[in-house]
Amino acid sequence: MNTHPEAWFSALGTPLGEGEADEIRAYLEGLGVEAALPALLVGSWGQAETLTRGPVGGWWDTEEAERTRLERLARVDPADAEWLATTEMLHGAAAIAAARSGIADPGLIRAAAGAATYAAHQHRLARAAGMPPGHPFMRKYALFCGGRWPLGVYGDRFAIF
Amino acid sequence: MAAYPEVKTAEEFGKQPEEYQTAVKKILVSHAINELYGAQVFDEPAIKFAPTPYAKWLTCRVAMEEYHHHVRFKGLADEVGVPAERMDTKNKKPLNIFEFPLKSWEEFCVIKLLADLAEILQVEDLLHCSYVPLRNVARTTMPEEKFHAQFGRDFCTELIKTPEGKSRVQDAVNRYFPYLPHFFGAANSTNNALYRKYSLKQRKNEDMRADYLNRVKELLDSLGLDMPSLEAAA
Repeated sequence: MNTHPEAWFSALGTPLGEGEADEIRAYLEGLGVEAALPALLVGSWGQAETLTRGPVGGWWDTEEAERTRLERLARVDPADAEWLATTEMLHGAAAIAAARSGIADPGLIRAAAGAATYAAHQHRLARAAGMPPGHPFMRKYALFCGGRWPLGVYGDRFAIF
Repeated sequence: MAAYPEVKTAEEFGKQPEEYQTAVKKILVSHAINELYGAQVFDEPAIKFAPTPYAKWLTCRVAMEEYHHHVRFKGLADEVGVPAERMDTKNKKPLNIFEFPLKSWEEFCVIKLLADLAEILQVEDLLHCSYVPLRNVARTTMPEEKFHAQFGRDFCTELIKTPEGKSRVQDAVNRYFPYLPHFFGAANSTNNALYRKYSLKQRKNEDMRADYLNRVKELLDSLGLDMPSLEAAA
């Protein structure tokens, strides 16, 4: 688990660095999605909400298929107390970042926390299953650790806040 | 009935009558098990039914909160020496409300709308519990339970905007509601009498059920949905 919880959600809306662009490419390539998809840099919590309230795309199913495959290799306990403490920390980080932008919507904050939690769960599962550092769940997790909220593929672009 | 004195710590708990200790342990086990079942059979599986990334992630967070409720109640139970196997869903038959086979997003939203309201009433009854650690967990848990019920209301409100959606939500209400009145336990329950004797709970099962049915009627009316007949729930 990332040891710098204050970094989560700390870079929302800022310009993408070269390293982040590489992470996105590695993530998409690992999932078997078109790696050269252009990035859509989301600039606000409102835009992130509008986008993610649209229908879910095939990228989600691709991630879920990979999650199911990994669950055949390893199990992680969702009710583990240490893990749940981590999810609380992620909720706190989302709430702080939202408050800095004047956002107090508990649903949107929980959605952000849920996205981070899901990514952390996927990362935990990939590690437990012995996946290499280049695994797409590791790459997505790295984007979260760097303060981003990867939102997924919408149309022909990969959206990231 | 005079209020039973506050019991502030697990150490003080050990000095209470056997009957008091047994009663507290039953409540702790019940909540620990119910929170775990709810997360396992409804919240976590519902992620796949959610139609948007927003709803999926929000459901994921709600599932984690339900798991956390389990851990909080289990933590209290551990402190007073309840064996872990009593809180393992493999060893205890679930309440009937968890036997509903979840198959759609509409059903899940109705479960949050109606079952989490029932859970709110149960937790409300512990807000002045004589066992202070349990009271404190109830107070910590309450805001999240309220959010979960609001989650159900918000998504049901969205779904009923179309006639097809409203029909699916009403159908889910018709099929799930009959499970719920039993959630409050039998009238004239001896366990409930003990809980009230020791100021662990405040109300009779039948009074809570009546209050719940009134609140459900008000809630469904506000959404323009019909409340199924009580005969269906018998």
